[in-house]
Amino acid sequence: MRAKAIVKDADLKALTGLCAKCGTCRTVCTLYPERKAEIAVARGKIALVEAAMSGEDGDAEAVQEALTDCLLCGRCERACPNQVLVEEIVMKGRADLAEEIGIPAWKRVLFGKVMTSPSATEIARKAAAAGQRLLPGKIPTASGLHYRFPDGLGGEGRTVPKLPAKGFLESLGKGEAAAGEVMLFVGCVFDHVFPQVGRAAYETVKASGKSVAVFRDAACCGLPAMVSGDRRSAAECAEANVRRLRAAEPGSIVFPCGSCLLMFRRNVFSLLPKGTPSYDDAVFVADRATDYASFLLSSGVLDRIPDPPPGEKVGEIGYHDPCHLTGTLGKGPEAREVLSRAVGPAFAEMAGADLCCGYGGTFNVRDYPTSARIGENKVSVAARGGTRVISTACSGCVLQMRDMVARTDPSLRVVHIAELVHQALFRGDGSGLRR
Amino acid sequence: MGADAWYTFLMNPEALSALGNLFGERLRTTLETRICYSFDATGKKFLPDAVIYPINAEEVRQTVLLANRHRFPVVPRGAGSGFSGGSLPVHGGVVLSTERMDRIVAIDTENLYAVVEPGVVTETLKVEAKKHGLFYPPDPASLKFSTIGGNIAECSGGMSAVKYGVTRDYVLGLEAVLGTGELLRTGVATAKGVVGYDLTRMIVGSEGTLGIVTRATLRLLPHPEAAVTLLAFFSGNGDAVGAVNAVVAARVTPSAMEIMDRTAIDCVQANAPMSLPEGTGSALLLEVDGTPDFAAREADRLEEACRACGALAVRRASDAVGRDDLWKLRRSISPALRRVAPVKLNEDIVVPRSRLADMFAFLRDLSGRKNVRIVNFGHAGDGNIHVNIMISGTDADETRRADEAVEEVFRKTVEMGGTISGEHGVGISKAPFFEMEVGPLGVAVMKRLKGCFDPNGILNPGKIFLEEAAVRG
Repeated sequence: MRAKAIVKDADLKALTGLCAKCGTCRTVCTLYPERKAEIAVARGKIALVEAAMSGEDGDAEAVQEALTDCLLCGRCERACPNQVLVEEIVMKGRADLAEEIGIPAWKRVLFGKVMTSPSATEIARKAAAAGQRLLPGKIPTASGLHYRFPDGLGGEGRTVPKLPAKGFLESLGKGEAAAGEVMLFVGCVFDHVFPQVGRAAYETVKASGKSVAVFRDAACCGLPAMVSGDRRSAAECAEANVRRLRAAEPGSIVFPCGSCLLMFRRNVFSLLPKGTPSYDDAVFVADRATDYASFLLSSGVLDRIPDPPPGEKVGEIGYHDPCHLTGTLGKGPEAREVLSRAVGPAFAEMAGADLCCGYGGTFNVRDYPTSARIGENKVSVAARGGTRVISTACSGCVLQMRDMVARTDPSLRVVHIAELVHQALFRGDGSGLRR
Repeated sequence: MGADAWYTFLMNPEALSALGNLFGERLRTTLETRICYSFDATGKKFLPDAVIYPINAEEVRQTVLLANRHRFPVVPRGAGSGFSGGSLPVHGGVVLSTERMDRIVAIDTENLYAVVEPGVVTETLKVEAKKHGLFYPPDPASLKFSTIGGNIAECSGGMSAVKYGVTRDYVLGLEAVLGTGELLRTGVATAKGVVGYDLTRMIVGSEGTLGIVTRATLRLLPHPEAAVTLLAFFSGNGDAVGAVNAVVAARVTPSAMEIMDRTAIDCVQANAPMSLPEGTGSALLLEVDGTPDFAAREADRLEEACRACGALAVRRASDAVGRDDLWKLRRSISPALRRVAPVKLNEDIVVPRSRLADMFAFLRDLSGRKNVRIVNFGHAGDGNIHVNIMISGTDADETRRADEAVEEVFRKTVEMGGTISGEHGVGISKAPFFEMEVGPLGVAVMKRLKGCFDPNGILNPGKIFLEEAAVRG
């Protein structure tokens, strides 16, 4: 099928028109060093979208393939001298094409059936946890058990974290954290895959002394569906979430995951039509949505950390900038401030901190070898610079970098900053918060 | 051109299949890839039949031999960031991308030269050289993404040309595949060398019409230890140009001397405002480099010259952050232009430095007479002005007036003893005015030379010479 006139979003013309094809995007593209071809970079993709809009088009599947071959790290957008909104162009192009020719079946089921429903997500995790026991080769690592992914399925060398029998939300008591002035949006990964991160975030936020509720009826934030062009599933997730979040009337909503935050701070607005109640709910949520580090800094929790802070060796802990959180939302200094206060001189600026980890959500599934090469480079640059513990604040980055250290150097650790804060606040013996 | 004509293959299938045997998956003929290699920074589009990514000189040679056998055009392309259409496949054929020939083969720290493949990004070489305390001076505005091969093809200049010269001045020798498929080695790897005709200079700036560079030997200098940047504001272009001449008269050689007129400053002010002295009509950005003492002393003399010429204010910085801050005004102009009007006719004329003030006066008058917005900035030290005629692109009458203005600018430039391109090259955008500058005999001799290097007209047809016939099998 030809791509002719499929890409039709009226706004797209104005957006693509700003691209001068200068080539600046080539210098920062995460994917370009891997592909060494113009089709990988922003101006190439923009040329394809322009061609599809004007009828000088290509094969629709091939254009979709080209637009999907992008990590959406946003580095091109930030480097662009004309401030071309590349992410928006790529996402809109994907959405128009998806509407016409669909998306792969596995994505359709995942976004449409599993992620939109909290109970289905939980069932899926349980099934996966049970099925996982059949996988060969447990790998002991410092960051917990990993399973070796079977070869021959396109994920050679991949390790997957051992899924817990119980998720974080499931581990909470029935009435526990049901209402409060602060709402914690844990996110699928920190609920189902790394519940210890959800737990650390919850307890450290609670240490602020404010009443904390945990958002229990959460659907997926919708970002994976949205970036895959499945706007309907993404909108369904977004609508359900903002409606329930508004009903809870929290004073602030804390997101331990940068990608989920991006969804509610920015992306939902292109999914929900202006003037609808959902849009108003989204504005309510966006106004109160904050990243984990910013919340901690404003809450006074960090003042309660004993001085000198307990920690590792000087300069051993680094911070990886999640593309969405630091790059797009500009929240980089906050996490560094939190780390300096929580672990003291153990924190040092990490080599290659702003290099993308190569995860890119579904990109990691569609082209694991490339995703892994980018990720291995990321962690080895950090390790060569002396970092032993890579901390960050996005679920995708944690997933990816844990896999990467298991592949390259299992003695490295990858943690969420909440785990370090938790450790600093509640010293090893679990005796409770120092006051 | 209708949609169908746009993506029809013009090359014969036999030629494509022969290329396939040579390049395997490094031959791409999908429409999507061809679209991605159909443009450069001019905004014009021409679809190639295929794109190849050679990794060594032998593959380039085999490609050109095939092109001679099957008569298809071969268009070399670096980063596709040119402003004159030099890498556009105007007659289809094969785009030969040098993106994967990107090795720095050697940096000789004793004899001060580097050997590089054409796909090396210019800044990469500068950074690598600096690690050895060495300096590769050419600094086109696109240095972060443009390639050495592209810089050589177009003989790129840059901000530092006023002191250090342009790409040509740093190319000691070349290895290039000629249009016959022969591999020619030119030049030397020594500081001197005067044996025979200078074939190296012949190829530099030839826009890929004489040979495809597969390797270059580039001169390096010791890296300057320090630099001082000054930003001086004047009430009008006349004062700023006066200051340029005063600097020259004072026998100071700045490493940058950039002029911005009021229209250019206004463009930047809309996006990233900076505080300006009242009555600012133009600005001059100056930089000097050398040892810290030398740079500071020379900066004093520059400041003095500017003040003597009526500078309203002079700001000065010697640390990296402060210098960056001053450079911001100059660097922001080009990107800001797209927000002034969607289409810019971007010319890069050069006039003798002593005629700069006359040219600015002429441009102001022209802008009024033709009723088109003209934004001027550029390398005042070399007399190189970027004349940007900004238009909507949708108003036919405005486009006609703009085209007339461009022609007038070129005529005036040649009349003043200048040149119609300081750094962008002829490509396709200046081909109609080429003879105006070099004359009929100049054109004839160049065509005879082209015949020696590329008898069948395989290499980058349709460039420089207006009437170049299409090569088609």
